[in-house]
Amino acid sequence: MNRRVAALGGLLAAFFGAPLVLLLRQAGAPGLSWWALWSDADNVAALVGTVTTALGAAAFAFVLAVPLALLLGRTDVPLRAPLEAVFTLPAALPPFILGMGWVSLANPRAGLLNLLTEPGTFDIYGRAGISFVLGGAGLPLVLLPTLAALSRIDSSLEEAARMSGAGPARTLFSVTLPLALPAALSGAALCFLFAASAFGVPYLLGVPTLTTRIYSEVLMGGGLSRTVVLSLELLVLAAVVLVASRVLAQRGAVRLSSGKGLSTRRMTLGTWRWPLGGVAVLSAFIVVVLPLLAVALTSVQPVWGQLSGFSAKHWSSVLGNARTIDAAARSLLLATATAFIVTTLGLALASTKRRSLEFIAGAPYAIPGTVLALAFIIAFSRDVRFVAFERVAFVLALGNTLWLLLVAYTVKHLAFGVRNATDGLAQVDGSLTEAARLAGASPARAFFDATLPQLRAPLTAAFTITFLTCVTELTLSVLLIPTGRDVLGTLLFELQSYADPGSAAVIACAFVLLVLAVQLARGVRQEAR
Amino acid sequence: MAAVELAGLHKSWGATKVVNGVSLSIASGEFISLLGPSGCGKTTTLRMIAGLEHLDEGTISIGGALVDGPGLRVPPERRMLGLVFQSYAVWPHRSVEENVAYPLTLKRTPKHELAARVKEALSWVRLEAFAQRMPSQLSGGQLQRVAIARALVAQPRVLLLDEPLSNLDAALREELRGEIATLRARLGMTMIFVTHDQHEALALADRVAVMNHGVIEQIDSPERVYQAPSTAFVASFVGSANRLEGRVEGRHFVVGDVRLLLPATLDAKSGNATLAVRAEELQLGGDGPRLTLLARLFLGSATEYRFQLGPHVLRAVGPSTAIKPGEAVPVSLRSARLFPAP
Repeated sequence: MNRRVAALGGLLAAFFGAPLVLLLRQAGAPGLSWWALWSDADNVAALVGTVTTALGAAAFAFVLAVPLALLLGRTDVPLRAPLEAVFTLPAALPPFILGMGWVSLANPRAGLLNLLTEPGTFDIYGRAGISFVLGGAGLPLVLLPTLAALSRIDSSLEEAARMSGAGPARTLFSVTLPLALPAALSGAALCFLFAASAFGVPYLLGVPTLTTRIYSEVLMGGGLSRTVVLSLELLVLAAVVLVASRVLAQRGAVRLSSGKGLSTRRMTLGTWRWPLGGVAVLSAFIVVVLPLLAVALTSVQPVWGQLSGFSAKHWSSVLGNARTIDAAARSLLLATATAFIVTTLGLALASTKRRSLEFIAGAPYAIPGTVLALAFIIAFSRDVRFVAFERVAFVLALGNTLWLLLVAYTVKHLAFGVRNATDGLAQVDGSLTEAARLAGASPARAFFDATLPQLRAPLTAAFTITFLTCVTELTLSVLLIPTGRDVLGTLLFELQSYADPGSAAVIACAFVLLVLAVQLARGVRQEAR
Repeated sequence: MAAVELAGLHKSWGATKVVNGVSLSIASGEFISLLGPSGCGKTTTLRMIAGLEHLDEGTISIGGALVDGPGLRVPPERRMLGLVFQSYAVWPHRSVEENVAYPLTLKRTPKHELAARVKEALSWVRLEAFAQRMPSQLSGGQLQRVAIARALVAQPRVLLLDEPLSNLDAALREELRGEIATLRARLGMTMIFVTHDQHEALALADRVAVMNHGVIEQIDSPERVYQAPSTAFVASFVGSANRLEGRVEGRHFVVGDVRLLLPATLDAKSGNATLAVRAEELQLGGDGPRLTLLARLFLGSATEYRFQLGPHVLRAVGPSTAIKPGEAVPVSLRSARLFPAP
């Protein structure tokens, strides 16, 4: 056991701890003027850009998600299950795809909405646009915890308020909302972090942020050390927000029922049932469905920004293109390998039952991808050596290879594996494994025969979510990809940013279809149970 | 304080009839228990009185005024009732004091009066010292006392209690049962108490309404319900009596090939019947038929004996003896009740 803990700890130290330390050490590089970097006008603008867009996104998601959660979680509004599925779909999609949809819709000159009205009516570019797109993409981060909190409020708490003389509205504001609020705020903090870490959408919509500035500095070869201040700012933001989110979530959780003998009754809306359902459907359409429809439409438009018939030319050129096929093959291979490693490593880490290991393994997910990529560039470039695994000194020169991408994907998404495995193991009935041992099975045999079958659902979830996230991963990929070897994410990014939005839309469509197919398959399997 | 009048209450959930024609007149200041097994409709009846459940048919009047009926539904917050829940329902985000003060705040009670009344309500349940605590710092018994104080503070017309003691352990249950009796004596308000525990119902209530399958089977004083049950269900549920299906032949009750001599006081007509006999009404010895002992359970104050009688297991309670399982012992009836066969 202890040897296994040491080995896993060593892996984490080598592939996560060391890169982070090396990144931070750049801060002490000679000839670096902190003040000059800190007060540099472009750097200040980037910080302001990140904070304002992320605050906007968190506020938008909060304002939309809380009433929605009340409707979906506590009333008899129609179409609850499909609405929840649509609103949580963005969690499985790269926000970049939603951004592409909104560029097609609301480019001030050629957006579809502007073609239908007056040019310049809608403009998605700028801070408000980024907040809107990222807030919609981050909506599940607020909606899901709020729904979970609401489902843990016993109806008798609300009924007690009614019996005390409070009407339905008063009951909502004095009992239901205060109990669900910590979860919603904690989710909003996560949405802030999600938006602050985003790279694709701010880049696409033209507002300089910390992430896009790091990208251009690295691309222009401005010296890695110049980006360290930006990275530190992002890291500090992430740490503060994450702690705030955790504190809020824990404070809220103690007030919620543990779920034993819990009864929740839905409020009957009466005549308001369909009007409110209509409002919910409309917001789902605008926030999620409309941009995806726009992407689909873009993929079949012969000329971008003109409503001039349909054509399959983008589809045929993309699907027949050797470059696309290579990129798709690389992405599928990388995503499968990552998902496999994340799931097994996550299970290994979780089964040590060491809180500290689980915590460290979960940490990279909270670190903005741009910063993590930077750490990997520094750590695995040819001039860095470090010592690991007892007395064996070696040079890890993974830079500029696909292996580096595999390592980066794995480290970033290890949290999926660890979290699912930890939750799964907590649900496992230990007596089943003990029964197998008493029936004569060795520890390993008992694990495979009794424990593992109970973990099938959480491990499948870990594999699926890691696979889907990695197959169009963008932020890490644009910084770490070896020259001349694309993956789907970088191809999507390049086509959309520089050359050919129509072809980018084809790749995006293909990905959305893949996600829908996976969700549907999982939905069907869950129904069958 | 107010009288409560239920007339022909009906309530279905889908195809299940939960409450099937409940009518009940409760006098002002009376303490009524609704007693029955789970699913008998007692909680639904209480929730309909509270206004938390909508009734399909019937009327409810409180204090002489209609609150629920065709075309009229007074919402729960305007019925001026107090309700104590099985799950306590103490708001976890408010202190004890804030919980109790809430109904008064809604009535815009002036500050000095509010403070005094909250203090008084907390003194009724002996929680003055806990006013500043948060609910997470209290035990189950204390939480239920907070809930009682909160339900009483605004001087409701009727206090409704929905299995308030069921979530507590045995010792606390007895303690709080005593406190409810004391409070009742002091405040003298109309109370409706829902429970599945016959001891609670019999100990506390002026009248007990025994419910089964959505109807009231008997409503009487606790003594009458216990000593003169009007149906086989009431007889077996209250006092957990043995219930034997058989037939009366002359002065004997026959189950299979066992003939039990009926007590002389019992008015018996020949034919199929149900016999309800409490464990303490059976006597070991005498000239009864010999039954085989299945098991002997030492209960402390007495010993329970289990016998096989046809398809039934017969429970008898008596002094400790040296009889061993497997031995046959004569068993006779000291007293019993007969009901027509179902």
